[in-house]
Amino acid sequence: MPEAQDVRVENLERIFGGASRETYRFTLVWCAAGETQSRPLILRRDPPGSLIDTDRAVEFGAYQAFHGTGVPVPEPLWLEEDSSWLDHPFFVMEQLTGFEASPQALMAPPYSDHADKLAQQKWAILGEISRADPKQLGLEAVMEPVAVDVCWQRELAHWESEIDRAELCPQPVIRAAIRWLRRTPPPPAQKLSVVHADFRTGNFLCDSDGVIHAILDWEMAHLGDPLEDLAWGLNPIWCWAKDGRVGGLASREDAIRIWEESSGLRAEPDALHWWEVFSSVKGQAIWVSGAQEFTAGKNQDPILALSAWLMGNSQDRAVLHALGHLP
Amino acid sequence: MKPDPGHFLGVVAGHLMTRTAPALPDPYEQSTVGILGLMLISVGEEFERAASRRVDENQALRRLFADAVPAVEDAELRGRLEVAATGSDGDLKVSALEASNSALRGLLIELHAHVEELESAPARRIEEAIWRELVASTERRRLAMGPF
Repeated sequence: MPEAQDVRVENLERIFGGASRETYRFTLVWCAAGETQSRPLILRRDPPGSLIDTDRAVEFGAYQAFHGTGVPVPEPLWLEEDSSWLDHPFFVMEQLTGFEASPQALMAPPYSDHADKLAQQKWAILGEISRADPKQLGLEAVMEPVAVDVCWQRELAHWESEIDRAELCPQPVIRAAIRWLRRTPPPPAQKLSVVHADFRTGNFLCDSDGVIHAILDWEMAHLGDPLEDLAWGLNPIWCWAKDGRVGGLASREDAIRIWEESSGLRAEPDALHWWEVFSSVKGQAIWVSGAQEFTAGKNQDPILALSAWLMGNSQDRAVLHALGHLP
Repeated sequence: MKPDPGHFLGVVAGHLMTRTAPALPDPYEQSTVGILGLMLISVGEEFERAASRRVDENQALRRLFADAVPAVEDAELRGRLEVAATGSDGDLKVSALEASNSALRGLLIELHAHVEELESAPARRIEEAIWRELVASTERRRLAMGPF
């Protein structure tokens, strides 16, 4: 904004959630060509400690890549990796106002009246992400490519090392799951896809007519097996309505069908099962990491402790369920 | 200790969530205080069972280790299992019980990985017993508010 003068920030307010980045809404006000102008924006800043430690350039790159495509995202505006301005790196993007993201809100009217419609869009958008060509989107510049036959190894090694680093007490359920994953590797990925890596109810914005306007929280995005995203969204810890509907919106069968139709890919049951077990290992790694950050005093946002308590136990239950040891 | 701490924590949680949080001007702080309320409810749930679930689990793990010893082929691991199987919880403070529990669960991981590599019928029987204990241990830790 080289023409802008008298730039100021108004109505700065932190948004709850987003344990991996601090998220603020504000109005940017400036003068240009003799007129005062304003725009509501979002600032995402790296916190001192978080559930996950990721490169903000990757998240910014994902927003850039998908903005203006069939995958709705806010317009990314500026990335600042120099910590001297706000103590930590940050980026700024368009603020989309008047929409809802909270899973609890989406389980109640008026949003719950549109569950089928939301499910159709949600899983179809994920299919669009899975179908997209990372090279064509320019994402290979910010996300490290990986061979299709070792996607699983890279992800499993990453999250296992995170558990090794952060666990505060032994995790016998998750360790057993990790050994199972290594003994029964999945087939090579059908293609190298962009993986959002946190694609679930709670990470999209929708209106009260059940229209999804943006997919958010791309901080864990990477290149890999598209089944990773599908499996993450199917994890029972996201069954918010506690009625078996994945993501609180649709049956598992419908979600898979919609994704297959949109992506043009197939969710081969054994391969999907591998990625579903993996999704609980990854989930537990995130909760363990948050517990460690909280205990070490790096970030004492209480959501980290509550997540470790509630989600940690549910994640163990989810993996026991996936491995056939719990109904 | 009266009022019961669990009851007290429930009352405080209710106060935080229904009175304190709504009175705060900053939505972020409102949400944070709401989370603190939810945490107090979970703390109250855990307070009641904190010692008993650890005692139960430590006893279950020691029994499992004693049963497993004949099937274990690694002499060094078998020796440690024998020692662990004869242990007991003399100090019932939660921190002491938690320390023994962590040591026992660490050993359980080793035992599980070991028997997975064996092909004998006793090894399969121990493996099945381990899975039953893993399910039981997860149920012992279950919180009412957990999503699954």
